[in-house]
Amino acid sequence: MSDEIAYATIRELGTRYRKREISPVEVTRALLERIEKLDPILHAFVTLTADRALEDARAAEVALRRGDENPLLGIPIAHKDIYLTRGIRTTGGSALFAEWIPDEDSTVVRRWQEAGTVLLGKLITHEFAFGIQFPGHKFPAARNPWNLDHIPGGSSSGSGAALAAGLVTGATGSDTGGSIRGPAAFCGLAGIKPTYGRASRAGVMTLSWTLDHTGPLARTVEDCAYLLQAMAGHDPADPASSRVPVGDYLAPLRRGVGGLRIGVPRNYFFEGVDTEIQRAFEEALETLRKLGAEVRDVRIPSMQRAHSFLLILVAEAFAYHERDLRERPELYGEIARERLLSGALVTASEYTQAQRIRAEICAETTEVMREVDVLATPTTPKPATPFTTAHDPELGFPRSNMAPFNLTGLPTLALPCGFSASGLPLSLQLSGRPFEEGTVLRVGHAYEKATAWHTRRPPV
Amino acid sequence: MADPHELTIEELRERIRVAGITIAENRLAMVRKLLTDALAPVRALDSRTIRTVEPAVKFVPEAEGGRRE
Repeated sequence: MSDEIAYATIRELGTRYRKREISPVEVTRALLERIEKLDPILHAFVTLTADRALEDARAAEVALRRGDENPLLGIPIAHKDIYLTRGIRTTGGSALFAEWIPDEDSTVVRRWQEAGTVLLGKLITHEFAFGIQFPGHKFPAARNPWNLDHIPGGSSSGSGAALAAGLVTGATGSDTGGSIRGPAAFCGLAGIKPTYGRASRAGVMTLSWTLDHTGPLARTVEDCAYLLQAMAGHDPADPASSRVPVGDYLAPLRRGVGGLRIGVPRNYFFEGVDTEIQRAFEEALETLRKLGAEVRDVRIPSMQRAHSFLLILVAEAFAYHERDLRERPELYGEIARERLLSGALVTASEYTQAQRIRAEICAETTEVMREVDVLATPTTPKPATPFTTAHDPELGFPRSNMAPFNLTGLPTLALPCGFSASGLPLSLQLSGRPFEEGTVLRVGHAYEKATAWHTRRPPV
Repeated sequence: MADPHELTIEELRERIRVAGITIAENRLAMVRKLLTDALAPVRALDSRTIRTVEPAVKFVPEAEGGRRE
């Protein structure tokens, strides 16, 4: 199969399906062959569902012949392996669930299926979507198609690797401190963490109740818009799910950025940022200015305290895992176990103070967002690190440019904005007001149309 | 001079004892670093000046049955 098909967008595939130039079954067979060839190197998939994929593809062909206009019809996707899938193994990247077969789908899995997608399989995740996957783990770690010696980011590591290598057209991720945006940044992809409450978490394994988000990754911003459209909306099964009506995420993409105000929070987000990321970021701002956006500096002083998010994460994660950690600790990877256990060492007062800091960050960010429509920052301070560096357990959890938006719950998109001298992708992060995913996607799409970073392919 | 916000190894051991958990001796440094980093903003905070986290529950009167958010 040509790269043209492997890297086709949702719109391109849909057009070719409807012109009968190619069929979902042909695309599915071709991708299954590509997965067979490349996945032994990349380790993106933990479970391949070839029979199910062909069944979905045949159903999509019938629907296409019927004239069904759903844009996701016949689109090949895969799910991060913390999304429950009925009748299909869901491991959570853990030995605890290595052979678990759920008897129901998560809400998002069901919604994408109803939209007519083709399920190619389940994608490897860091253990319970937490931290880094260390050697000796139950499942091998996914590798970055741009450089196999570097991490693809995580915890949606398989999602990032599979998309960058042209193995799928769309994938789910989950994002507690950057697990959608990190793989998007490190693998040269687009990924959106929607507003807290916008996409259902029902049937998705929990890491931290107040920080967890679900969302899509894809190779273009427009593809993210299509995938989010089919994912978003109220779900009574998720207590955090919002009743705010879902907007049209596709229509705003055509509007450009003329008149939009983009704020750049100059404190916190630029500490420790590599020179080449700083340069790529400033060039991205210049591009947005030329497209008609107004760019101005803003300050959110309380962001300096954002690293306290880690207290909330580990305390909530320990609360979720406590029983298994006490009764079956040997089934956790060693490093993940010790890090989860650290949540038992956070006092009630410290957890409460971290939530008070969070309230302060939310209030100041809301205030700033009265003056601007979108915030722009570098997604990560550095490009993807080598496995040798990432596997140093003493490295800890570095300061994150992504976690602040898990604290605030604001919709946040990551998209490519350049490449390092060593050929690794660099990424721009855009955040909007609550439930204004359309604005964030609009800015990202305008930038993407004006640049060609998203069209580069990794050397796999 | 020691950082006043740093979690000492003695304090870490005491927290482990109180929590009733076991952390491997060779991972104490890792856990200590994780907690020291995460606690730094809280330890640098004057808790008298920071915002409250109220309200814990919020009622939306226009929603059916005064739904809680």
